Amino acid sequence: MKKTLKNILDWLETKVSYADLRFVQTEEENIDVENGILSSYNVSTNRGVGIRVLANGAWGFAASNNLDKISLQETAAKALDIARASALTKKEDIRLAYEDKHIDTYITPIVKNPFQISPSEKIDLLVRSTKTMLKDKVKKSEGSLNFYMTHKIFISSEGSEIEQTIFESGGGIAAYAIGEGDFQKRSYPSSFGGDYATRGYEFIEEMNLLENAERVTEEANQLLAAPPAPEGIRDIVLGGSQLALQVHESCGHPVELDRVLGKEISFAGGSFLTLDKLNHFTYGSPEVTIVADATVPGGLGTFGYDDEGVPASKSFLVNKGKFVGYLTSREDAFKLGLKSNGAARAENWNRIPLVRMTNINLLPGNLELDKLIGDIKEGLYLDDNKSWSIDDKRLNFQFGTEIAREIKNGKLGKIYKNAVYQGITPEFWKSCDGISSEKYWHVWGVPNCGKGQPEQAMHVAHGTSPARFRKVKVGASK
Amino acid sequence: MKDMNSGKKLVNKVKNILKNYDFEIIASESRSELTRFAESYIHQNVAESDLNLTVKIINEDRIGAVQMNSIDENTLLKNIEKAIEVNKITPKLDYHYHLVTPQSYKIKSKYSTDTANFTPLNRAQLVSQLIKGVNKRGYEAAGAFKTEESTLMVANSEGVFAFDRGTKVDFNCVITRDNSTAHTLFIDSDINNFNIEKITDELLATALKNVEQIEIEPGVYTVILSPEAVAEILNHTGYTAFNGKTVMEGKSFICNNQGKRIFPETITMSDDPFDELTMPIPFDLVGYPREKTYFIKDGIVKDGVYDHLTALKYNRKCTGNTLSPEQASFGALPFNLVMREGDSTIDEMISGTNKGIYISRLHYVNILNPMSIQLTGMTRDGTFLIEDGKQVKAIKNMRFNTSVVDMLKAVDMISKERQIEEGFVGPTVVPYLRTNHFTFSSKTSF
Repeated sequence: MKKTLKNILDWLETKVSYADLRFVQTEEENIDVENGILSSYNVSTNRGVGIRVLANGAWGFAASNNLDKISLQETAAKALDIARASALTKKEDIRLAYEDKHIDTYITPIVKNPFQISPSEKIDLLVRSTKTMLKDKVKKSEGSLNFYMTHKIFISSEGSEIEQTIFESGGGIAAYAIGEGDFQKRSYPSSFGGDYATRGYEFIEEMNLLENAERVTEEANQLLAAPPAPEGIRDIVLGGSQLALQVHESCGHPVELDRVLGKEISFAGGSFLTLDKLNHFTYGSPEVTIVADATVPGGLGTFGYDDEGVPASKSFLVNKGKFVGYLTSREDAFKLGLKSNGAARAENWNRIPLVRMTNINLLPGNLELDKLIGDIKEGLYLDDNKSWSIDDKRLNFQFGTEIAREIKNGKLGKIYKNAVYQGITPEFWKSCDGISSEKYWHVWGVPNCGKGQPEQAMHVAHGTSPARFRKVKVGASK
Repeated sequence: MKDMNSGKKLVNKVKNILKNYDFEIIASESRSELTRFAESYIHQNVAESDLNLTVKIINEDRIGAVQMNSIDENTLLKNIEKAIEVNKITPKLDYHYHLVTPQSYKIKSKYSTDTANFTPLNRAQLVSQLIKGVNKRGYEAAGAFKTEESTLMVANSEGVFAFDRGTKVDFNCVITRDNSTAHTLFIDSDINNFNIEKITDELLATALKNVEQIEIEPGVYTVILSPEAVAEILNHTGYTAFNGKTVMEGKSFICNNQGKRIFPETITMSDDPFDELTMPIPFDLVGYPREKTYFIKDGIVKDGVYDHLTALKYNRKCTGNTLSPEQASFGALPFNLVMREGDSTIDEMISGTNKGIYISRLHYVNILNPMSIQLTGMTRDGTFLIEDGKQVKAIKNMRFNTSVVDMLKAVDMISKERQIEEGFVGPTVVPYLRTNHFTFSSKTSF
């Protein structure tokens, strides 16, 4: 395949100021089980080539699933045509931040290749877990496992040749307690499909799905009988899974430089972290340090190189509360006189790289969880997302959680259902006065981050440990 | 698979390999191009051609499915062999699965050769015209302009053969100048209905009013919702409440309200591929013909839509809303959500409002409580205070936490005019609505 791509690149080189070609082939296995019965088992293979060119100072991109030479030549010609059409409205030539030439390979380190584990073993795990969950008011239980193996070849007119093979594994279980006019869901290890990582089947084994099934059911039944969360202003502790989504929506998205530059404004929106705020804005309390780190072992946003051939790296976004960095592509980094920090990623061969999150991690503090909770007189411990929404500049947010626990005089108490909390991003992060230690820190995989038109679902992650926020507006959905 | 004959050839190829098995096939092919612009220049401009083939093998109530995007002999054979293996290891369903028998289809997708042949240069020229138009008034433009041609084929070993092709134009744009913004959306099958001058004028008319926004306090308000805002609310309602599977599981608002008249008689909502404004999808992904299904009729709560698997499992009638095999565990969604028109004009709705709020667009809507259909989200790109029958001031964006049930109960005016908007599967056709119960819960700073 690489030879064919090189031939196309040779043909393009005299016609463009820059070109890159990406071949991507994905193998996927998805298993869904409901109430102990397999509801779907799908395997898929998908492959194609995306060709991106800079010609006449503007971008063109064309992609095809047809891999014969003639078709790829036509695809390259189409990309050129498109670039010429784009140039009709250009204000200035697109330029890219400098990047070294890289000739390299990268393979996700895994212990157990998930595609070599028998489907029967995987199905059996879900069948047993979902059967275990059918107790009392739990009338519906579901479990899913998903595995991906992505092989990518990237070549560019700057001489880079990079091959990557990335393995991803993920899954989870959920129980639905259903009553008259109400139902409550409890998930494990996280809501909306569970947890994901660039790891092998060992990641699934470490989840202990079956061992957690009974607890999940018990909590779902308790939630159905629980009162709604109280309304008012409370100190809260966010569990790691919910905090991951909080980081995602209120830090991960607003630091995407393309959003800041207005490139997403018609669809997903802009960002309150405008260029004038870089290095001059207090995003949160001194407790808050957030990094983009595509090198964390096992993170769902971990890779060798991004889809522009920039090596994975670690960079600071928020340092001790101060806003200090964006996620960038080569094009956007050039506008700020920076090198790209390697965050341009494409969902597949048929999509262009956009500025995307990698592993956006809230660094751990030094508190024991008992201490974090112990310093609250009246508050709530909230975990596992149920609902999320944030305005188009990423300021006003509201999240609902699957479970809330009362905190009274430093101790965890009864369970509440339907909890929501609301805030304004920098005010909320400034109210953070404690983060639990590395012992509680976990990188949560989020496999469904949406952005762009045509829309691209990206696999990203967030390292978090439970953290405390003071005087937050809480309530319950009705 | 560009035409019916190549579709039939593909079915025969699969049939020859799978002689001893029952099977279903879903094949789709698309050529899609999208021009994206921001800060008044084209910053992303893409084209893709792709094909997707799903082969589902059914053997003694065991199902195994494989998907691929290449159908050369080797790939096809290798993947079908994999499907046979998958079928052997999958446990049996707890109900009997049977294939759909041959059906007749009353409708077709809308197709325009001009849309199919629209070029990147054609799109760039129209985008350029829009940019020049709004730049003159100091505004920047950002948006996306997509033209697409697609074919869909569903077949099975019982002799079902459904083939369809359609085109789509999908345009959206936001114009901005400081805090002044406006947004528009255009969906059609035919590029000849796209009028860039009209779109430019309408965007500017809204944006020029959306300036110097004032703050108002959260609370319960009378609001007039644009068709785009209505569609956003109803799409989420369809997702959480009108899925027959959730009705069967006791997880839908419909469960405790079926047969009850709880809304005004003017409220009728359905999944209706025969509506004159919609872009119909003629069959579902097992080959059932699409039909009209009422969710709410004359204010009375009816039922949801059903996919093939849920219908078999719970002994219901499939309404022609089966999704792809990888979405099988979800259930069903409305394909062509439609709300019946009323008898008011939008001018009458505004002039008849003493105090209220006009909402142009909603952002990041999500479900807070599925049983009461309580939704949350933000307003954006043009929210206006109405006093004494006139839009008097623009207001800053607000968060709403509102129950769709309460909102629909309090609808007292519906427009004659309806518009085609984005849906979760096919498009959604809706009017303007005025309701006296819409709850805003908090403010933002812009």
